[in-house]
Amino acid sequence: MIVAGVDIGAATAKAVILDGDELLAFSIIPTGFSVARAAEAVTEDALAKSRLSMGNLEYIISTGYGRRAVRFSNKVLTEIICHAAGVSSVVPQAGTIIDIGGQDSKVIGLDGNGKVRDFVMNDKCAAGTGRFLEVMAGVLGVAISEAGALSLLSREPCSISSTCTVFAESEMVSLRAEGKSREDMLAGIHKAMAHRIAIMGQSVGFRQEVVFAGGVAKNVGMKKALEDEIGLEILVPEEPQIMGALGAAILAKAELVKMHQAS
Amino acid sequence: MANYYDALLKLCGFEDDEIKREKSRIDRAFRKLELGPEDMKKAERWVSENHDVELLGVRKLLRAWLMELIDLELAREEGKKIVYYGYPSIPGPGMAIKAAADLAGVDIYCGCPDVVLCHTLGQIFNKLSPVLEAGEQNGLPPGHGLCSLQQIRNGGLAKGIISVPDLVTGSSYYCDMGSKADELLHERYGHRAIYVDGSMDSRWGEYPDYQPERVEFLGAQLNKLFATVSEVLGVEVNTQAWDKSMDTSRALYSALGRLTRLMTADPVPVSYVEAGLALQLTAGSTGRSMTEGPQAVSILCDEVEKRVERGVGVVEKGAPTVLILIAPFSDPSVIRMIENAGLAITTGIYSVPPKKHPPTTYTTLGEIRAEREMRDGYYHSNFGIAKRVEEAVNDLKVDGVLWGYIYNCRPLAETSHTVKKWVEENTGVPVLSLEIDAYDSRNYSAAALRTRVEAFAEMLRDRKASAKA
Repeated sequence: MIVAGVDIGAATAKAVILDGDELLAFSIIPTGFSVARAAEAVTEDALAKSRLSMGNLEYIISTGYGRRAVRFSNKVLTEIICHAAGVSSVVPQAGTIIDIGGQDSKVIGLDGNGKVRDFVMNDKCAAGTGRFLEVMAGVLGVAISEAGALSLLSREPCSISSTCTVFAESEMVSLRAEGKSREDMLAGIHKAMAHRIAIMGQSVGFRQEVVFAGGVAKNVGMKKALEDEIGLEILVPEEPQIMGALGAAILAKAELVKMHQAS
Repeated sequence: MANYYDALLKLCGFEDDEIKREKSRIDRAFRKLELGPEDMKKAERWVSENHDVELLGVRKLLRAWLMELIDLELAREEGKKIVYYGYPSIPGPGMAIKAAADLAGVDIYCGCPDVVLCHTLGQIFNKLSPVLEAGEQNGLPPGHGLCSLQQIRNGGLAKGIISVPDLVTGSSYYCDMGSKADELLHERYGHRAIYVDGSMDSRWGEYPDYQPERVEFLGAQLNKLFATVSEVLGVEVNTQAWDKSMDTSRALYSALGRLTRLMTADPVPVSYVEAGLALQLTAGSTGRSMTEGPQAVSILCDEVEKRVERGVGVVEKGAPTVLILIAPFSDPSVIRMIENAGLAITTGIYSVPPKKHPPTTYTTLGEIRAEREMRDGYYHSNFGIAKRVEEAVNDLKVDGVLWGYIYNCRPLAETSHTVKKWVEENTGVPVLSLEIDAYDSRNYSAAALRTRVEAFAEMLRDRKASAKA
């Protein structure tokens, strides 16, 4: 029973191939300009790693903001449902998911059975998203992959008051002119962003275990800042970026089982 | 010779002879609105994509709104007295003013121009942005969380597409934004503004009880409004006018009640876009809503009833049902997107009929109306709203609530959080607090809202399936 989950995000495209419950392979590539091409490329890459081809796939579910552009998928589901399924498969006791992606952020409450209890999402404003972090790292001339670790070296985090990406950028320029250290400024940015996520997630509530997914979950500084804000320990799966694609693949398998049972 | 607007007007339920008869009025109104041949082509596409024009009742509703727009545009040059009221409005006073004028033989246009522009320039022409921009340039700037409905009224006056009225009644019993916008416009254009103040500051948990002082205060404000109408228009809003308005509106409310009942069928037989066209007639108009509304809604009900008998719907049978507050007024594509996601919108929260009340002991028109509002809950307090939603969820047995989190509406922005929590805790039914702007879709397009709505639909389907299993 070979199935695929394809998650087309704003920044990266992810694909996961499952054979029953076994994860055969996954792939992550930049989404680039053409969403449809990224979907094909990432799936083919994951299939190549599994030594399989498109013809071997029995069911495919696509998810993510580009989910409707995946021409070869059998079903389309939102990333919220897919993240719930993916995270619950690796952390069965998960109660809350924080997912920070390139263009949006979400807090998803789980019911203990891998189903969504409630969710809240910010996809209107760049504040609280991976893009916010990327812009700020760019202002400070820091590679995004290093920003989190550097922020942990701060002794006196700066206070960033603006919630708007453009105005926060101006604030950074002023702080730089005041001679603040890069580490303190980065810590301030992480704190400001974590604060926004914590406020946004209040209506859903943070219940243990709290799992951090999405590309930004690889940022150790953000994990720490979020833990400080919500006062709970946060778990990060080994591959936090593929939770949506993994969930899509798990749900694809469930669909296939249902179809087999019906026939 | 054919007119450039014939095709659109026929799509919107006009007959040939009617277009001929109304030609001069249509020409003048469309000129004032700067609607040309290109706008008609765009509107034909927009209407066909977003309205169920296969239904004659829908076409007749679109016609009623267009006729209301034409009446609004030409009110001043046709020599009418003009009264504008605000939204949300306490039902009754607008109709009573119209009835009083009719009884006195005074030709009057009485309506809520912002609501009319939303349902016509928005729902039919998809051309509301220039009006909003004019409102932004005329004292209600963008980026300040100001009410877009007020920007529309402001923009309409600034562009000269609506006339300066003789009297404006501000709905400040609900929100200060309307009255502040009216104050600004009064300063600009000099027309008479009367503010119907009230206070929704009430103890959480108080409803259905209410302080008599609130009835007395709001009642006095409404009585002051009627006295001002008498002074400005020379007509008396008395019991006779009130009774006439009740008689006039009975047919429309009866037809709307029938439509509301039909919307509870499974599958939901018609889009909430069309139900909204019918239901909001009462919010925007005292003219065409009464002369054209009852027949249009009745035709729609007859057609919808046939769909119910055939089991035809706009969503799949068994789709999760939701109660909605508040459906976008100006952009029908948002509701279409919600229905395409598989959610069956059965009714709007404000369309749920109120419970029967005991007889009143108050004697003045204003106090009687004010007491009714306290009892109905929506103008009582946020707790009143929460309780009414809780009752509606239990009565209608819906699977979810779509709560329009109107970020720039001061009273409603707060309820989106408190009501969500209350309803979820007291009914166990999930509430999606969906951040929208009901009147300005520039930042809240259907595409931007899709993921949240689809995820909510998936969640409700899952819950339904689990409950069945």
